[in-house]
Amino acid sequence: MNLNFTVIERNFSLFLEGLRVTVELSLLAIGLALLWGLVIVFARTSKFAASRILARSYLEVARNTPILVQMYFIYFGSGIAGYPISGYAAGLLALTLQNGGYFSEIYRAGIESVGPGQREAGRALGMPPHQVSGIVVLPQALRRVIPPISNQGVIIIKDTSLVSALSVAELTYQSKILADRTAATYEIFITLALFYIVITTIFSGVLRLLESRVRVVR
Amino acid sequence: MFDTLAANAHLLFSGAQMTLFLSVASTVLATAAGVLLALIQLYGGMFGRALAEIFLYVMRGVPLLVMLFSIYYVLPYIGLDIPPLAGGILVVGFYFSAFMAEVFRGAILGVQRGQWDAARALGMHGHPMMLIAIVPQAVRLVGPPYVNTCIMLVKGTSLVSIIGIWELTLAGRQIVERTLSAFEIFGGVAFLYFVICFALSCYGRHLERRLRYAQS
Repeated sequence: MNLNFTVIERNFSLFLEGLRVTVELSLLAIGLALLWGLVIVFARTSKFAASRILARSYLEVARNTPILVQMYFIYFGSGIAGYPISGYAAGLLALTLQNGGYFSEIYRAGIESVGPGQREAGRALGMPPHQVSGIVVLPQALRRVIPPISNQGVIIIKDTSLVSALSVAELTYQSKILADRTAATYEIFITLALFYIVITTIFSGVLRLLESRVRVVR
Repeated sequence: MFDTLAANAHLLFSGAQMTLFLSVASTVLATAAGVLLALIQLYGGMFGRALAEIFLYVMRGVPLLVMLFSIYYVLPYIGLDIPPLAGGILVVGFYFSAFMAEVFRGAILGVQRGQWDAARALGMHGHPMMLIAIVPQAVRLVGPPYVNTCIMLVKGTSLVSIIGIWELTLAGRQIVERTLSAFEIFGGVAFLYFVICFALSCYGRHLERRLRYAQS
């Protein structure tokens, strides 16, 4: 097998254009899902039973159905209902809805992992409840949620490749078009895989750096 | 109001059967390869460990869809002509073997230090120690995360529809192209996936409760 990367060189601008879309979509999806996860975790720990049940049911549906089917549901559904949204918007919405559910579970596990002794200690020092949460519990929970957030973020970055099925011109779509047009399939898919490996490596590296920054002094 | 769904339900059910078949076949492969990878990572020689690490790094960094496209486009060029269905099972199986390896490694390392020490104190070593003392405990620990990975795998099989393997998701797409009832049909598709995955996740929670009981 001899590789010839001139096709890649000549079409490198296509890859860069796709890379821009992939990175933008990934960052938007991660940011929005982080926020949406907060909303769900509040609903799940609310004192109203209806809100808890609703959040719980939402979570089960979001987690137990494939993201591709969610994307199709939103994309084709909105089109046929007469309010067509772009493949990009449908993909972003599905990524946000599903991963918001995952992030809410990560937040919940993080808050629960801070032992009850910490809360009691805060209260014993005479702190009001919002200070116990804000100064004692949340900073410790934050440090614990970074590694699972990093893992889920990598999954989101990889799942952005699915919007290529909705004809959004991101990395995978551009590469597929190029593979259809030329015969340099090895070179194209090796390059594509490398692009994703580099993006996910940078992402998890940045989060590891962040984790070391918020390390609690022991 | 669910006329279209009712008229096409039989197609969705056969699609779901195909999805189940794909899932079971890939799970068997992913489990076998995952155990092997975990053992190499823990007990392999330096060369084996390095190879396993590279494999895991690539599998974790590259999207499943890209892997599927790669075999779909690349294999014909090398002259390897495997049927698409077998190719799909291979890729999904090996992709999730990386997640499985993590699960198994975690379970073996999760058996408490004291258990290893106790086994050694009784004069066990090597394979008998692993088989009698460690593996049975690791199997119990492995339950909940293993089931979670299986859920991911079932959902992951939906991607093979993009390379043209007929299963639940592709069945849904074809019906929608014909009838234009996107909400109804994809709602039905999502429901069938939900039934499979929710049953699995209930089982996972049951295992988790049992484990917590055993540990307390």
